[in-house]
Amino acid sequence: MNNTLDFSRLGKVIKHDGASFAQNLGLALIILWAIPVVMWLFASLTPSHAHMDAFSRIGILNTLGKILLIIAPARLYKYCNDQRKGIGYAMMPASSLEKFISMVFYCVIVAPIIYLAGALAIDSILAVIGGPYQGFAIADYFDKISQLKDMWRDKMMFDDEDYYLLSTTFTPTMIIITKVLSVLMLSSIFMFGNMVFKKRKTGKMIGILILLFILFMIVMVNYAANHENLFERWFGYMNEENAAEIIKHMIHVMINVSLIFSAIVSAVMLWLTYYKIKTQKY
Amino acid sequence: MIKINNLDFAYKNTQVFRRISLEFEKGNIYGLLGENGVGKTTLLKLICGLQKPQHGSVIVDGFTPSMREPEFLQNVYFLPEEVITEDTTPEKFIQKTGVFYPRYDYELFNQLMKELEVDLSKKFNELSHGQKKKALLACAMSLQTDYLFLDEPTNGLDIPSKALFRKVISQYCSDETTVIISTHQVKDVENLIDPIVILDKDDVLLNASFSKITEKIFFEYGPERLDNAYYTEMLPGGYINVMRNVNNEESNVNIEALFNAVMKNKETIKNLMK
Repeated sequence: MNNTLDFSRLGKVIKHDGASFAQNLGLALIILWAIPVVMWLFASLTPSHAHMDAFSRIGILNTLGKILLIIAPARLYKYCNDQRKGIGYAMMPASSLEKFISMVFYCVIVAPIIYLAGALAIDSILAVIGGPYQGFAIADYFDKISQLKDMWRDKMMFDDEDYYLLSTTFTPTMIIITKVLSVLMLSSIFMFGNMVFKKRKTGKMIGILILLFILFMIVMVNYAANHENLFERWFGYMNEENAAEIIKHMIHVMINVSLIFSAIVSAVMLWLTYYKIKTQKY
Repeated sequence: MIKINNLDFAYKNTQVFRRISLEFEKGNIYGLLGENGVGKTTLLKLICGLQKPQHGSVIVDGFTPSMREPEFLQNVYFLPEEVITEDTTPEKFIQKTGVFYPRYDYELFNQLMKELEVDLSKKFNELSHGQKKKALLACAMSLQTDYLFLDEPTNGLDIPSKALFRKVISQYCSDETTVIISTHQVKDVENLIDPIVILDKDDVLLNASFSKITEKIFFEYGPERLDNAYYTEMLPGGYINVMRNVNNEESNVNIEALFNAVMKNKETIKNLMK
């Protein structure tokens, strides 16, 4: 018997965890799906008849999706590290790796996909009904970057050269990788928080992230204050001829740094989550 | 077979076991006795892999429990003292859980539920504490694992249910199954358990079968209190004296009297049983 990974057993774990998926996450999904409906109703009833284009609604749906990623681990696997209620989970005859894969499957893949499918379907229904929702979010969702470019061009913020710059920087592959990594990073952070904390898991993890952000900002502000010359020298190199290239280079560097950062944080968080599942005492 | 060797275990600053060694043979129903707080539940958790020894080893059929390997886990089931269940029926619970256990028998589950008089259609949270315990016992036994660990299984059961509990354990556990019942209510498991393990703080005072116990210890039921007895207790119609079996006489073990005798003469009886 393979005690590390057996696909038949993994299937059983996924089925086992899936059996309580709707019970544990159903209400949260309904609330998140209801928010755009409430907004639609509110906008329909207000005398100003404010319109919301598909692009703005995608932003709202994405924010709600992030909320789901944050709450899903604690909703789906609330008791897996509980000294009393977690005994059943620990004693389930499956390897730690199989339990971990199932957890990742539901928190990173299933929950966001179900949310997104439902949210886009509801948005489409509301757009068909009419009223304040203009355009279909589903049509623009996977073509978000061209929307962004069109919007910028419409607003005369970028000329053709800049438009080319934007197109070559934000390639579809890059957008997909960025999107996947941002989902993975957010979800893995809160999966780890779910395994570490016994109570108020999500709240504590958010608190830690806020603290880390404040610390990071303090460090950055101090660094910038002590290296004023450095920034002056950077901008001093720029002129009309090389500005586009320098900006493009900076965007590339920023994207790559952010991708590497997301990948490292995700990998560390996922490994720590697996380690906690394996070594958790009850 | 369960082999515990030189086991040390502590919770933060509280030492629970200090270099204890112990063996549990296959196919027996062990009674794990001890006062509150001596570590009965902790010992079960160490055997199940829910805790890890700080020193020494726990080996179950060649497996290290704390590794929680699936091949080990599919042969053990631990029923904790506190009944915690999902918002589901016992039937759905066992159908979801049973798929992981190779010898799980749904028919046996139904039969046990009937024998234990538990309503199949009700959700766990609609059942009384005792009913929940019986439903979980039916679930645990229907998995037919080689090792079944029951932590204070009779707590919260009414008198008829305690009798039913004894009946199903003795009737449905196969000769290959090792059951360890941790309890401080010794009367509830009388005529069910053999051998007996008595734990004390940091130590194992006794681990012996009834035959070995009666070989060394004599339970005398008589009209008077004997001075040379390890322990004496007044019973209706006389006394029970627990004493050394010097004449190799046969007697019936009174678990409660034995437990009290061991607790009052820890070192003496420990040395006697060696």
